[in-house]
Amino acid sequence: MSKRLLVGVFESEDDTLAAIRASRQRGFKIVDVYAPYAVHGVEEAMGLAPSRLPWVVFALGLLGAGLKVWFEFWTTAVDWPVNVGGKPFNSLPAFVPVTFEVMVLFAAVGAVLSFFFVCRLYPAKRAVLPVAGVTDDRFAVVLEQTDSTFEPEEVQEMFEKLHAVHVEEQITGEVA
Amino acid sequence: MNAHDFSFEPAAKIVGRMQVLAGIGAATLVAGLFFAPQRVWLNFLLVSYYLVGLAVAGMAWMAIQYVSGAHWSTALRRVPEAMAGILPLGAVGIFCVLIFQPSLYPWTGGLHVEGDAPGFKLMWLSLPFFRIRAVVYLLGWLGFAWAMLNISHRQDSDGDLSHTRKNTRLAALFLVFFGVTFWLASFDWIMSLEPEWYSTIFGFYNFAGAFLSGLAALTLLLVWLQGHSALKNVIREQHLHDVGKLLFAFSTFWAYLWFSQYMLIWYANLPEETIYYVRRLHGFWQPLFVLNLVLNWGVPFFALLPRMNKQRVGVLVRVSIVLLAGRWLDLYLMIMPPFSGGKPQIGIWEIGLVAGLVGVFGLGLLVALRRAPLVPVGDPYLAESLHYHA
Repeated sequence: MSKRLLVGVFESEDDTLAAIRASRQRGFKIVDVYAPYAVHGVEEAMGLAPSRLPWVVFALGLLGAGLKVWFEFWTTAVDWPVNVGGKPFNSLPAFVPVTFEVMVLFAAVGAVLSFFFVCRLYPAKRAVLPVAGVTDDRFAVVLEQTDSTFEPEEVQEMFEKLHAVHVEEQITGEVA
Repeated sequence: MNAHDFSFEPAAKIVGRMQVLAGIGAATLVAGLFFAPQRVWLNFLLVSYYLVGLAVAGMAWMAIQYVSGAHWSTALRRVPEAMAGILPLGAVGIFCVLIFQPSLYPWTGGLHVEGDAPGFKLMWLSLPFFRIRAVVYLLGWLGFAWAMLNISHRQDSDGDLSHTRKNTRLAALFLVFFGVTFWLASFDWIMSLEPEWYSTIFGFYNFAGAFLSGLAALTLLLVWLQGHSALKNVIREQHLHDVGKLLFAFSTFWAYLWFSQYMLIWYANLPEETIYYVRRLHGFWQPLFVLNLVLNWGVPFFALLPRMNKQRVGVLVRVSIVLLAGRWLDLYLMIMPPFSGGKPQIGIWEIGLVAGLVGVFGLGLLVALRRAPLVPVGDPYLAESLHYHA
């Protein structure tokens, strides 16, 4: 389904933050905000819910640690018991360092892959940018024209009051 | 910013409470010298070392911020500075033990040595050299603390960046000196209580414990000052969040070193090394041994794992209290087992001296906090810290 979007392009992060706050205050739906670098306070200004990524990472860490303990137990105590220095076959202290490493590996690699998956990033994906400048020195706030009460002229005026350098309408089925 | 807005005047109530606690400590110490001298001297060594650890943790914190060029913490600097200001109190405690009761250390009555360097060990563990080393360590740390605090306070009046540069150089020198001397000090004052046993990582493990307890004390102080002083509008949620992250990280660092020491000794399984853990893993020591890990790592790790919890003042305060109790237990387990006849003794002497520790630390801090404005008003990086975003 195609959407009618209104893109406000700004030159500074302060104006961008002000535009985000003003848009939320008036109840506009913010599709996304584009910036050439991470801007402090954007998440709060947009009212984004806390990321769920930590839970995924926590679960993957537990999974990695669990699998690793099971695997090491199985290899050293079940499938091929080896006597090392007279220690019990099932020697938990000896398992700890590698368990830790595998936990970190699962959690860290899993975090990156989960992030790519959630953002639908994959090799050779074409960038979807409202204006090319957001990779350089421009900030963009993208609003969706949800219904007929959305007056593009009025919003354009609001953005221009906040020092927007450029406001344009876009129709797309891609940006989401 | 005006220096007068940030002068500190503690309420009479808190001063009174700290005086009562310090009085209890002093009374316990005096009474203990008659009724249970060895036990009380060991506990006195414990609390003095605890106090020294808190003070040098304040120094280390300050030095790390200078050397790394961290500006987020500039507004909070007077609090670790005040912690460094109590170093003389801890140093007096350590000197008392070394002057009046060196016989706590079994090697003073003749050393039974094995291994390939008995000559070196005999030379190292001789009373005059032992005392000279303590003087070098403590006077060295005191000298750095005195110099860095003076320079920092002088900056309040002229706001000159050269003071920051000077302190950055001093901080780098301090960290090198401190890295070596604190490691050796923990060998001298704590590890040599069991002179036949040795562990090279002991010093790093002790640094981790001291710095962790310092962070916990810093957290409590920041929260308290936020409620009871002009720092109310200075300490922001983001500052506390970052201190929470450090608590979480250093708790795990402590556990990492604890486990490194334990696992290597467990793996090698040499009798002269395992005896240390044999003593601490049998009978009534075992629950304390496990509790040590729970307090210093288990509780802080899981309590501070979610991001939100690192920002919640209530969680930070509770975790800090757990960590400070854990630090005491950690030291108790390092010091007491060879002396207390097979089972842990925790009673009036231990509690009395801990009360004294809290009282002396509190009084020392209240005095140290009054020496200078609560915020380094002349620091050129102050504004950056005041507007800090995580």
